[in-house]
Amino acid sequence: MTEQLIPATEDPQAYVDRVMAEIEEEVRVRRATGDLPPKLERELDELFLAHSPVAGRGGDLADALRMVDAATFIDPVVPVASQKAVGTAVKGGMRKLLLWYVGWVTHQISQFASAVSRTLHIIEGRLNEIERKVEVQRVPNAGVIEFPALHRSDAWWVEPVIGAATKANGRVLHSACGDGWLVQRLNEAKVNAYGVDPRTHLVDQGTLGVVDLRDETLAEHLRSVAASGLGGLVLSGVFDGMGSGERDQLLGLIATTVAPGGLLAVHSVSPTAWASDDAPYEADLAPGRPLRAETWRHLLERAGYRVDIQLGPDAADYLVLATRDGASPATPTQGR
Amino acid sequence: MTAAGPDHSPVAVHQFIPTLNPRDASGTHTILLRDVLRRAGWRSEIFAEAIHDDLAHEGYKHWMYPEHAAPGDVLIYQFSTSSAVAAFLAERPETLVLDFHNFTAPEYFAGWEPHTEQRAALAAEDLALLAPKAALGLADSRFNEAVLRQAGCHPTKVVPVLVDYHRVAAAPDGRTSAELHALKESGGIDLLFVGRVVPSKAQHELVKALFAYRHLYGEARLHLVGGTSSYNYSKALRDYIDDLGLTASVRICGEVSDAALAAYFEAADVYLSLSEHEGFGVPLIEAMTAGVPVVARAAGAVGETAGDAALLLTRGDPSYVAAAIHRVCTDDTLRQRLIAAGHHRVGALSLSAVAPLVVEAIATVAGPPQ
Repeated sequence: MTEQLIPATEDPQAYVDRVMAEIEEEVRVRRATGDLPPKLERELDELFLAHSPVAGRGGDLADALRMVDAATFIDPVVPVASQKAVGTAVKGGMRKLLLWYVGWVTHQISQFASAVSRTLHIIEGRLNEIERKVEVQRVPNAGVIEFPALHRSDAWWVEPVIGAATKANGRVLHSACGDGWLVQRLNEAKVNAYGVDPRTHLVDQGTLGVVDLRDETLAEHLRSVAASGLGGLVLSGVFDGMGSGERDQLLGLIATTVAPGGLLAVHSVSPTAWASDDAPYEADLAPGRPLRAETWRHLLERAGYRVDIQLGPDAADYLVLATRDGASPATPTQGR
Repeated sequence: MTAAGPDHSPVAVHQFIPTLNPRDASGTHTILLRDVLRRAGWRSEIFAEAIHDDLAHEGYKHWMYPEHAAPGDVLIYQFSTSSAVAAFLAERPETLVLDFHNFTAPEYFAGWEPHTEQRAALAAEDLALLAPKAALGLADSRFNEAVLRQAGCHPTKVVPVLVDYHRVAAAPDGRTSAELHALKESGGIDLLFVGRVVPSKAQHELVKALFAYRHLYGEARLHLVGGTSSYNYSKALRDYIDDLGLTASVRICGEVSDAALAAYFEAADVYLSLSEHEGFGVPLIEAMTAGVPVVARAAGAVGETAGDAALLLTRGDPSYVAAAIHRVCTDDTLRQRLIAAGHHRVGALSLSAVAPLVVEAIATVAGPPQ
């Protein structure tokens, strides 16, 4: 029945795939014209969150307590406005008649709510105290650390990444994408690519209108991606300063979200470049340090990846290109 | 296996349900299944914790079952929420069949409706209680079947929900139809979604998509049909619509009659679903019955319910959804293909197609009907 409506030479699934690709292209073009930039979509999200209860805004305890405090008093004086004139009089009369009863009940409910609220504030105080003690021992998450000379569209490692990404089957994600410089190059090479970066000020500028960029951390984004939902993942400036725990967690997410046979490309500076005087100050402040290239080989091969490593000029940086066959996700970790 | 009780009367296959309601999918499924079972030759009654006044003559309170019990009875539990019926059935010695329609996970109500969140958590406990005890699990979809199996129910079988989809093809309500046609005369397209106004159905995502569509392509209206069980979400949705200046473009219609529903489907240019959780998705098939092309986010069981008869979206970005809607409204080949495939899909899920599957499945535990 349906096949008659599709060009005779086109398979129905191919037809749907073509339509979906054309819709993607339509979105890309619309963004390119600046009609509906991602910033506006983010504002739509934030506006709805403003109406959401606390759990919808990340479950912040202080916000929750403010809501509890605001709801503690139960007002026994009910509104009496009505669309009918007689309605206001009737409601007003009923309010007078019932206020002694409703007031007695609401007073007790308000007292109960106040007791709960006080208890919650005590718990909050104790939690804050615990948090202050834990904070001293906390290992912070690493931010994006970029070396300006290495993270640019004419860097030596960009062409090999594009070459590998063109063979990917599915969407390719770049993180940290910055203003979308690599995503744009990938799109020009006909790769269906998009980017994530937690640095909002970068995502909101530059090539924003042209390419699909989201301002969130890589880990947050990967948690929202379906299993095997990515054809490839290109990482630059992400792993370099990470501590081992955060790195293991991220590699676990990558193992489930990159499809079998998909591409994992990691660009990293070398430990030597990391320690040089030219390194950005964030390098000193990061909780971890970059791995050596051969350590990546060891880590990924143990997890079932096929690994190819390319060294940059002066051994200041390197590129790891890895693919993993088979359906079972393996998590590369250094400690297990 | 035997098809008759010890006194040679036909084996009874009775159903239990938390609430027998004429306006929800599991309620109508239960009544249709009762009729199918009776036609097949089994005795069959419905027992419920609560029964809507309009259906008072259709069933008994669940605690009245012992008066009806007979050796060899098979009991089907229509599982869709937490209920005292679960604990009641856990104590019964009869063969149990779980007909699983899934339930909204507690996290969708977190922060919105603490009571409903707690109730959803209790539903998970009910499932854990009954799943290992059931002799057979029936699921509307493979998505639901996976939940059932994970809870320890074996064996299981996928049998679509029984629905008389043609209620939406009946004569539309004249007044509603006239109102909608008057709106249409001002130009633009009409988007429709049918479902409870709750966080998991993500009506706020539909509003975002409407905003994007109007921003990018032109005039459009959104009609949201369905009651709500979340006052807080409903209020947030209304406030959101006001803030976006869409008050005149979004109609929150509440529950409507079958005739009014038919009018909404008649006026719709696209049926749009961005639900985050669907165990089956009856309105998707109703839209197909009414000849309305479906654009839907492929969440939960939506993909398998719609099959190739919907434009399935992998994500819900407003601009992406708006572009998909625009494509369906402007590409006649695509539109006709979706409508034609929809009619084909309706045939595969029709009462006449599904009823034999249910009978066959029940017969595996009750023996063949007499």
